[in-house]
Amino acid sequence: MKRNPLTDALLWFVLILGTAAFVFPLWWMTVVSLETPQRAEAAITGSGGIALFPADPQFSNYVNAVRETGSTPWMGFTDALANSIVITVLVVIGTVLSSSIVGYALARLRFRGSRALFLIMLGTMMLPGQVTMIPLFLLFREFGWIDTILPLVVPAFFGNAFFIFMYRQFIAQIPESLVEAARIDGLGHLAIWWRIALPLCKPVTAICAVFTFIGTWNDFLAPLVYLHSDEQATLAVALNGFKNQYGGLEDVHLLMALSVLTMIPCIVLFIAAQKTFVEGLARGAVKG
Amino acid sequence: MSDVTLTNVGKVYEGGVRAVEAVNLSIADGEFCVLVGPSGCGKSTTLRMIAGLEEISEGTLEISGVRVNDLPAKDRDIAFVFQNYALYPHLTVAQNVAFGLEQRRTHGNALTALLTGANAARAKESAAIAARVTEVSKTLGLNELLTRYPRELSGGQRQRVAVGRAIAREPKVFLFDEPLSNLDARLRIETRTELRLLHRRLRATIIYVTHDQEEAMTLADRLVVMHRGVIQQHASAQECYERPANRFVAGFIGTPPMNIVDGRVENGVFECNGARISLDARWTTTTKACAIGIRPDRLRLGAAHLEGALLATIVAVEHLGDRTDITLDSAWGRLTARVDADSAREMREGTAVGVTLDVQHAHLFELGECGARLNGA
Repeated sequence: MKRNPLTDALLWFVLILGTAAFVFPLWWMTVVSLETPQRAEAAITGSGGIALFPADPQFSNYVNAVRETGSTPWMGFTDALANSIVITVLVVIGTVLSSSIVGYALARLRFRGSRALFLIMLGTMMLPGQVTMIPLFLLFREFGWIDTILPLVVPAFFGNAFFIFMYRQFIAQIPESLVEAARIDGLGHLAIWWRIALPLCKPVTAICAVFTFIGTWNDFLAPLVYLHSDEQATLAVALNGFKNQYGGLEDVHLLMALSVLTMIPCIVLFIAAQKTFVEGLARGAVKG
Repeated sequence: MSDVTLTNVGKVYEGGVRAVEAVNLSIADGEFCVLVGPSGCGKSTTLRMIAGLEEISEGTLEISGVRVNDLPAKDRDIAFVFQNYALYPHLTVAQNVAFGLEQRRTHGNALTALLTGANAARAKESAAIAARVTEVSKTLGLNELLTRYPRELSGGQRQRVAVGRAIAREPKVFLFDEPLSNLDARLRIETRTELRLLHRRLRATIIYVTHDQEEAMTLADRLVVMHRGVIQQHASAQECYERPANRFVAGFIGTPPMNIVDGRVENGVFECNGARISLDARWTTTTKACAIGIRPDRLRLGAAHLEGALLATIVAVEHLGDRTDITLDSAWGRLTARVDADSAREMREGTAVGVTLDVQHAHLFELGECGARLNGA
């Protein structure tokens, strides 16, 4: 196909414009994080105009940001980081395992009422989170789970409707003969799920893991509701606390530095898993 | 010994659809048995019941004299080769071949073995599996492919890997479900021969399902021709061809198919739409409405007004090299004749010919789709 250079140029222009719109806030946040306190404050209040590059990059801002949050020991950056990592990792593992095993069951096991269960499960996706927030809070309070990570982590091990749906659709596409071959080779359903279905579901698992990771990592509401003591705070909550701690804008450069640090894992993970997203299903399993 | 015996085995699906009627079949140790029939005839269902992939609704299935009706597939010691090969896409060829063996090892878990001090035994097991994989890949010429993934293989290579996975475990019985139908014509014929040789070398019991009667005939020690869930004939390929048990088998086995014409036999003469042909001495005393069956290569074409011949017009001439198939229109309807290439040279479409039959090779069948073959007096 012959391409028109003019169309190409126009296309590139639009794409670059779109990219710039998305990248600019991140870039600006990084720029501010490297400014001196005065310039950072000026940037925030708008009195200094918008600088595209820091005039005098202060890399020590990052060191200070991590260290200075420690001046109030309970809200140390490293504590919050550890909390975030523990919760996020557990939630990702729980969501992937439980969603895929339920998806497998819905796709592969025939039992009375499986269709009804599937529909009810899909129905729960229509429910806004706010509706269940208070009942859930009361329930977890009954359990004595408030101010522990349990309310954040345990539900993840009971599946996520959307990812169950994705796994179910994906697993339903695995040729029946593969499952039968595994049965003849001596695998039960649990082993088929673990050794055949899960490896073949890599693209779904990548999506599930990345979205769950980003969602949990950045989640502000749930940790705020369930984790009351400051030692339990996750990064998202701690960042907010940091803002309130100083009230004013004199430390905005440090706030930005922490924001940049908080963002890094999400970006790295997204780039790393991107390739798997688009990987096809059982290529080579059957002729095609 | 690994013989397979089916006694009154039947399959009724939920909702009452009957796929297989009471099948009685006994497959000897080391036999290459081919189930053949048109789609929906119950051959695959029968195979899947033997494999344990379908529940057996009625009857008894025995492998090596042991009733296995309720045994799960993995405990029946069978290997199954699927039409679409069903290779594990995320495993290499070597891992695919070894998969069944890995499942059956006593010290499967490396950590458990380490903790219970069975490490040496586990290592020995691993070595044995590796040796077996090497041996199998040598047999099937897979050595070059061991580190590849199924998606990197051609259809023929995948098919060989599927066979390799089956033989690695040395099961009692091999089950093949149309394993060649995804290959192109030439590769199919090559692989067919390889399978035959493999069977001779392994001396294993093989039950093989196909809808391709030619494939069935070339492979089978014994053919089981099925139709509508019922075994129509169970005999050698030669026997099925020369002495078909009924009209269905007669029409199904052989290419081009046998000419079968409904009519009536009386006083040793077969008559249909006023056109008569005298039969041989077997039929002088028979009087009844029936169908005559005659293979295309048993039709003789001669001059148009030959005495006692059936008048026909040549509709199509198909040259196949060494022989020629001729399609004819006659009072008996459309007939196919197969003649050698030399005598076909002067045949032109649209010309009239006289058809005679090698009557001693004609068969008479009861009327109806599966009408039994009549034995003349």
